[in-house]
Amino acid sequence: MPYAPEDDEIPNPLRPGLRAESAPEPCAMVIFGGSGDLAHRKLVPALYNLALGAHLPAAFAVIGVSKTPYPHDEYARDLREAVGKFSRTRPVDAEVWQDFASGIRYVAGSFDEPDTFARLRAQLEEVDRARSTRRNRLYYFATPPSAFPVLLRQLKEAGLIRPPGEPGFTRVVIEKPFGRDLASARALNRLVLQTCDERQVFRIDHYLGKETVQNLLVFRFGNSIFEPIWNRRYVDHVEITAGEELGIEGRGRYYEEAGVLRDMIQNHVQQLVCFCAMEPPVAFDADAVRDEKIKVLRAIETFDSPDQVARSVVLGQYLAGSVAGADVSGFQQEKDVAQGSRTPTFVAARLNIRSWRWDGVPFYVRSGKRMPKRATEIAVHFRPIPHQLFGENATQPNVLIIRVQPQEGIALRFSAKVPGERYRPRTVSMDFRYGTTFGAGTPEAYERLLLDAMRGDQTLFTRADEVEAAWKIVGSILKVSESAEFPPPHPYAAGSWGPVEADELLARDGRAWRRL
Amino acid sequence: MSDGYGEPISAGASQHSGELTLRFDQAIDLGRIDAALQQARDRGGPAPESVTTLNLVAIYFTAAQYERASPALEAAGTLHPCRLIALIADAMIEQESLSASVSVVRSGGAVTMERIVLSATGRSVRHLESAMMGLLRPDLPMVVVWGGRPLGDLLQRVVDSADRIITDSGARPPNYLAETAALLAKGAPIGDLAWARIFPWQSLAAETLDVPNLREHRGNLRKARVVCAGAVGAEGLLLLGWMQSRIKRLEVSISAEGAPDEDAQAQQGPIPRAAPMGLGHVRLLEFTAPPATFTLHREKSLLLAQVKGDDDGHCAHRVRLPPAVPGGLLAVELKILAGRDELYAQAAQAAARLLREGNP
Repeated sequence: MPYAPEDDEIPNPLRPGLRAESAPEPCAMVIFGGSGDLAHRKLVPALYNLALGAHLPAAFAVIGVSKTPYPHDEYARDLREAVGKFSRTRPVDAEVWQDFASGIRYVAGSFDEPDTFARLRAQLEEVDRARSTRRNRLYYFATPPSAFPVLLRQLKEAGLIRPPGEPGFTRVVIEKPFGRDLASARALNRLVLQTCDERQVFRIDHYLGKETVQNLLVFRFGNSIFEPIWNRRYVDHVEITAGEELGIEGRGRYYEEAGVLRDMIQNHVQQLVCFCAMEPPVAFDADAVRDEKIKVLRAIETFDSPDQVARSVVLGQYLAGSVAGADVSGFQQEKDVAQGSRTPTFVAARLNIRSWRWDGVPFYVRSGKRMPKRATEIAVHFRPIPHQLFGENATQPNVLIIRVQPQEGIALRFSAKVPGERYRPRTVSMDFRYGTTFGAGTPEAYERLLLDAMRGDQTLFTRADEVEAAWKIVGSILKVSESAEFPPPHPYAAGSWGPVEADELLARDGRAWRRL
Repeated sequence: MSDGYGEPISAGASQHSGELTLRFDQAIDLGRIDAALQQARDRGGPAPESVTTLNLVAIYFTAAQYERASPALEAAGTLHPCRLIALIADAMIEQESLSASVSVVRSGGAVTMERIVLSATGRSVRHLESAMMGLLRPDLPMVVVWGGRPLGDLLQRVVDSADRIITDSGARPPNYLAETAALLAKGAPIGDLAWARIFPWQSLAAETLDVPNLREHRGNLRKARVVCAGAVGAEGLLLLGWMQSRIKRLEVSISAEGAPDEDAQAQQGPIPRAAPMGLGHVRLLEFTAPPATFTLHREKSLLLAQVKGDDDGHCAHRVRLPPAVPGGLLAVELKILAGRDELYAQAAQAAARLLREGNP
């Protein structure tokens, strides 16, 4: 989406039918939090890989903004080291890096100081001249959420946010978490929309940049055989797991504030629910896709009473244990975590989607830290056959598994006859592995999302109403679970799949979690 | 055969470990080939999956030609899982022989390419076509990589049966483009690596006309000229043909200057870079929309655009050429598995008109 043509403009005669994707318009990307972890581990390696694949705009610059004082060249050296360590492609191509690094700048300063933004403005004008970035700006908020309001205010006051329609685009990419409950998300949305137009706002959830999540749309809406059975008539239940082997990795302060509900469920897991449950969009464009996702979020039953939360939600917190053969400490022994903390590191919940398609089909979701392994997947369990022709329990219901990470792919479990014997069925798995099948190196989620933001394509970013709808569901759990009367999270040993109560949640419905 | 323009679909040396070879006294035994294929699959242990998206048929006329193309075919086949059936028809060797070698390529444990190489010499070459038909996987598109000249009965039969034919006009003297254009005019589903090679030039040319202050020149494009390296090549003609098919009454000219890159045949280092500028490759594209002149030229791995004469002053624009990896261009062309690229068909026919008018 390089530009919006004027009505009376002569169309570009060389553009129609070109097979090469058009590169985004030239732009300067400003990373607030430029000296931080996200910039070093994810953003700059993603930008470098885009440069390597010739996907970056013809004229491009990166400006880091942080408190840490750095000369430009030292900042560039620091980023070069980070790319060497974290890029998916190595070794670093010196020629490509040199070209990319010539557009790196740095502005040191506090976000509270207007002077920082005056210097940023001067720096942007310099890159417009030196790099031909044509007043196109992509601001990336790679900062703690507490900095978002001040950044928006300072950018506005410094005249660095121009409305759509004026020459040169302004876009703002906002990292998660977007608010910490419905009220704060609404307040932040109000602030954002006082400063920018919704078309300029890109609320990022990196799960949506994953190829397998996008493939879910192709799988569902690019094949005719699945959609007719993708409903309450054929599906018994859906199970979504987002498990992490890792603990909180020194982020005790952040995690104590967030907990698993804010960290995983409000964004990543609910996005997976949406992609799995949404109706076909009328078109494959940003608003049509997001309209359908919002309908799913609105149809998810909120938890209106403590009883309802107690019946359908299980919270847990890990104790010391063993993960992958190594002893690990419990959550309350982690740095910056309070003794007696009530922060959940695990959740299992039963979500009910009150819609024509899904009513009566429970969506069981679970997510936790210090699980036995890293695994994110959606398992669609189909109803059992109506009549057991080959003996009692001889066949198992079909299961379709969409693996988001690792070993991205799709597996279908079905019954087949064991050769040579009488009719003895055996469940087999037909396994499609996304990465190995197509051989191409799978791009990192941030590569896709940064490129989309530069192109102005919002399909894989969340809209204001979507964020609020998602908070409404999680907020209804938080309201109960964060009250003093609600019991503390159930303990579970690190290296297990959560507390036994999570198993009981499904057992009450006559079901069990898949063994992963 | 290639007259210095490079080998069709070529990319260095090949490795064939784990190949099973079969020799046939008379007819080709398809059952033995199937059994050998199964044996090749089993050799690497049970594969969790086997994925095939197309039948890729590659036709060559000497074993050496196929050997040079083999790594590119394998790499492209990894990106587009396929059954590769390579036919080597060497009629210049009088002694009759028929043989098949069979192997599989795994990616992460999964079988992503089944490779069957059928070789014939002497009069036995007549059996290859029917054997190939018996080895096709059903229901999948058949894409043929054609390493020969774009003419003859065999090609006509391929045109009649294949969903797509991929050739490389850049590997032959440019006058063969006329033959390709004639086939395209009859609706042949032909794709061309020479066409894929000029995608970055097309992108950059289109992008310069998307620059806000340069859009005003879109309706005033008058002339275009291309300079090729060493000799006029198919890429340059296709580039001009494309522009002429897009812009009415565009005056065009083409010439050759200088030599191709010295390291055009050199091996790539550990980090893939853009392919060196080979004989006949495009060195410069210039188009004018008075008073503005748009000049696009290549500097190593970069394509640079400069605009002069515009009211708003000098403007520069550039793109990085994609790194050349074996089979990269073929993989790009394999994104279309059936039918033809209309833009290419129009460009090739315009290029053929330029040839008829004696432009080069």
